[in-house]
Amino acid sequence: MPFGPIFRAMTRNRARFLLIVAEVALTLAIVANCVSLIRQSRAELARESGFDDENLLSVTSRAFAEAFREDNYLDAAIDADARTLNAMPGVRAASNTYFVPWIGGGSSTEVMEGEKRFRTQFYPADLRLLDTLGVKLVQGRSFTREEFAPGSGGSAPANAISPALISEKLADLMYPQGGAVGKVIRDSQGVDAYRVVGVFGPFYNPYGWPIGDYAIFYPARSGNFRSIQYLVRAAPGQARTLIPEIEKTLLAANNGRNVEVKSIVEIRSFYNSRDQSVVVALNAVMILLVFVTALGIVGITSFSVAERQRQIGTRRALGATQADILRHFLLENWMVTTIGAVLGAGLAYAINVGLVTMVDGAKLDGWILVAGVGLLWAVGLGAALGPALKAARIAPAIATRNV
Amino acid sequence: MLKMENLSKIYRTGLVETRALRDFTLEVEQGEFVTITGPSGSGKTTFLNVAGLLDAFEQGRYLLDGMDVSRLSDSQMSRIRNEKIGFIFQSFNLIPDFDVFDNIDVPLRYRKMSSRERRERIERAAAQVGLSARLRHLPSQLSGGQQQRVAIARVLAGDPRLILADEPTGNLDSTMAREIMDILEDINNHGTTLIMVTHNPEHAARAHRQLHIADGRMVDLERLSPMPLNRHAEPSVAAN
Amino acid sequence: MFAYNLRLAWKSLRRNPILSVLIVGGIALGVAISTAFITVYHVFSRDPLPNKSGVLYYVQMDNWDPAAPAHPHVSGLPPQITYRDMRALMRSRIPARQTASYQAALYVFPGDDRARPSQEPVRMVFSDFFPMFEVPFQYGSAWSRAADAADTGPEPVVVISSVLNDRLFGGANSVGKTLRIDRSEFRIAGVLAPWRPSIHMYDINGNPFSDPETVFLPFNWGERLEIRSTGNFDNWTRFDGNPTLKDILFNSEADFLQMWVELPDEASRQAYKSFLDAYTTDQRKAGRFLRPLDNRVTSMRDLIRQWKVVPPQTKAIASISILFLIVAALNLVGLFLGKFLARAPQVGVRRALGASRGSIFLQHLIECEVVGLIGGAIGLLLSLGVLAFFNKVFGSLARTQDFFRLDLTMVLAAVVLSLVAGAIAGIYPAWRICSVPPARYLRNQ
Repeated sequence: MPFGPIFRAMTRNRARFLLIVAEVALTLAIVANCVSLIRQSRAELARESGFDDENLLSVTSRAFAEAFREDNYLDAAIDADARTLNAMPGVRAASNTYFVPWIGGGSSTEVMEGEKRFRTQFYPADLRLLDTLGVKLVQGRSFTREEFAPGSGGSAPANAISPALISEKLADLMYPQGGAVGKVIRDSQGVDAYRVVGVFGPFYNPYGWPIGDYAIFYPARSGNFRSIQYLVRAAPGQARTLIPEIEKTLLAANNGRNVEVKSIVEIRSFYNSRDQSVVVALNAVMILLVFVTALGIVGITSFSVAERQRQIGTRRALGATQADILRHFLLENWMVTTIGAVLGAGLAYAINVGLVTMVDGAKLDGWILVAGVGLLWAVGLGAALGPALKAARIAPAIATRNV
Repeated sequence: MLKMENLSKIYRTGLVETRALRDFTLEVEQGEFVTITGPSGSGKTTFLNVAGLLDAFEQGRYLLDGMDVSRLSDSQMSRIRNEKIGFIFQSFNLIPDFDVFDNIDVPLRYRKMSSRERRERIERAAAQVGLSARLRHLPSQLSGGQQQRVAIARVLAGDPRLILADEPTGNLDSTMAREIMDILEDINNHGTTLIMVTHNPEHAARAHRQLHIADGRMVDLERLSPMPLNRHAEPSVAAN
Repeated sequence: MFAYNLRLAWKSLRRNPILSVLIVGGIALGVAISTAFITVYHVFSRDPLPNKSGVLYYVQMDNWDPAAPAHPHVSGLPPQITYRDMRALMRSRIPARQTASYQAALYVFPGDDRARPSQEPVRMVFSDFFPMFEVPFQYGSAWSRAADAADTGPEPVVVISSVLNDRLFGGANSVGKTLRIDRSEFRIAGVLAPWRPSIHMYDINGNPFSDPETVFLPFNWGERLEIRSTGNFDNWTRFDGNPTLKDILFNSEADFLQMWVELPDEASRQAYKSFLDAYTTDQRKAGRFLRPLDNRVTSMRDLIRQWKVVPPQTKAIASISILFLIVAALNLVGLFLGKFLARAPQVGVRRALGASRGSIFLQHLIECEVVGLIGGAIGLLLSLGVLAFFNKVFGSLARTQDFFRLDLTMVLAAVVLSLVAGAIAGIYPAWRICSVPPARYLRNQ
């Protein structure tokens, strides 16, 4: 392969090659960084809660009837709602809990084990929580009806040791030696204490702080005059029809309030909408960019073929076969692409440094560049193929034409 | 060496047909030096294109070095052009981005040849036309005569049996033209067949045989001098 | 001469329609993408209150648990302050205006008994809030400072948004009418004009792109009517049993209030900072503020930047989209080269007929710019489509359908971008064609 002469010729006729080099370099740099940003956003999007998200519904009851200000009435209403929901056809399980997955927050507290402090999510829940979320009890047991203290208000009973269910990851974090069940957890103010009766998993709920994997649930009704919250797990395929049904049924049971039902899928896609739009936008830019670059390579290569018609005819007259001409242009293109790719790799790192400080983005992974170079080789050869075939078909007789 | 019988070549542009060659018959012997003259559009260039396998023809038969070349594939023809034929063009047709060395190298690249052999051939050919000192010059840095000498070196490096020259001196002044003619004559003296299209009667007269084409037909045959005897010896030309 | 060049450009475009479509399409794509993404960035990063963002200051004090590591908020401090500290700060006479605020949710009962009551987002504010944040009124006005805390307590007045006024009163002037909110009657003092700041700038603790609330009540009703916050709530104090509202307001470290002060000059800023430091130092005697002294007054402009309200990806994508336009323009260089050099003979004739190199260069550059502008116009239309798509994806977060809109600045930006793209694509080909020697193409072919 005549690398030497082609390369020497390229250094003498720089402009058109520099164009492709610049294009390829910029394209590689942009694509590599887009992929890096996308991977980062995708990692966020790929996180799973571990719950039966597809079938979960969040039900919020917001009271305006004055009777709800009365504690006994409120408790009775919560119990009645929970019974009503669990009895509805198409409902697998329903639970009164303050916890709603994927809203990007919740409530948290700080607990202690020995001298160590741990921040964890922290919610009241009723007996059917694990069934409703669709998660497994890994160790120990769930709450019993006897452990269910009367009263509500979403706060743990004072000065008594309350039972608690904790997430697997929290158990691993606090008790790396195992044996979480039976341990007593104190909050960092030393006021409340919880005895771990069971460990469940999986659990993930994104939070403002990096405590998405950690949770403590304690048995209590949750709700106040303003709002009462339930989670409902529908039988597969029933969620959509249940949404209006639940609103109708709960209002029929008690009309002194408004009821809002939302699917967890909807809540999750709202939570993800920012990352999602970033991924869509970057993908679009990347695909269009590669397309436009291919177009440009076609343009420049066509031009360079047209400009060198006579030279091609001469080569044919001197004995080059059509395959030789094809190979010549593909090789030339490959060399230019490769030079562009090498520069582009450097540029990609330079842009990445900027992105890392701008977006606290991830460091560029070398494999992305390798894949990018492969892609550009393919795109470059694909784009040059048309004009190169056209060059191969140039008649050798053009050499004897006198200008 | 070359034998054409009743060859016809037709150009079509839209509805108009031009018969560039009609019933063209010619035989050139090995080692012969033949010049072809004729007015513009008479079919000289068409004859060269067909003879050099640059262009196809419609009817008739063409034997090159004893081989029937009417039914060859494109790549077979490329191979014959590469190994048996050397072209010299009026406008030199050097590759402007290639230096002298790389230009002479072009036809050799299409043969399976070691880089050492190519280098030897290039250097020998450049020496034969007196351009050893200019191997790294670009065509644009050379005079017209020197450029044509590069083109001749490109032919010599390939060691062809037949040289087809299309007005090789057309773009040169008379001193340079004479120099080029000397070199070509010398190459012919060493046994290579030479067919040259020219306008210049003085140059045409240096051939063994002078042909005249008009309207796509051979009109005149005239043997001017006997064949040289010392064929197949090395050319010993050394132009300054 | 310019008109002549324009005509030449137009003829040239029509001569080779496929090539022209490719070139125009390339520029259109580049301009569409870059204009759309720059608009996204522009909308996000636009100063929501250009006249005031430099004089409105947000107050933060570090009352976090001294035993715990720094507060995990991006600023390193609790993002809000406590009720009791708010009461102390409000006594200062240094700020020209000041307001504390928090978000709540209350039922509003329409006069018509058959209509269902609706729970509305409520903002509890002092009267200074409205002039501070340049809140526009359609009917009536804000309540007076006196109404914030008359001797007998706050007056029963309310300001409602145009959205709520449309829903309850069909858009008519409802000033002076009474409205039942929760268990109390309030007199409507003012109705806002349609108002939708690009950033929920007076409270960026939750979703910073949410709509303004529909009900604005005098802050001091909060304590009287026990109106609890529905916003973020940070509290490290523990109580035995259920705390009363009084406990939370006066005996806890519960941070749930945003505190804004208007400090018009450097002197007042210094004075206010000293006032804050003096206050927290004094509070230490009572065993509070035991972490290292760290009080901050941050201008709204800086706060929006420091709290990373603008998704940082938008800036990255905007820069990437400009690079995209450059690549798109570079790609057209080859197409223009081919187009121009194909007519080198014709240019040779022009040159022989006396056209100067400069005029040939200008002729071709103008052609490129014409193409750039045509592509830019199409790109601008395309960008509307892209923005409509973003509004659909992002609309749920912003709860509006035209969050991203092209404004005049962005249209001008698109024009500049297409001219730049035309220049990038055209300068080299135009230079090549004008340096063709006139004689070369005049010989017979």
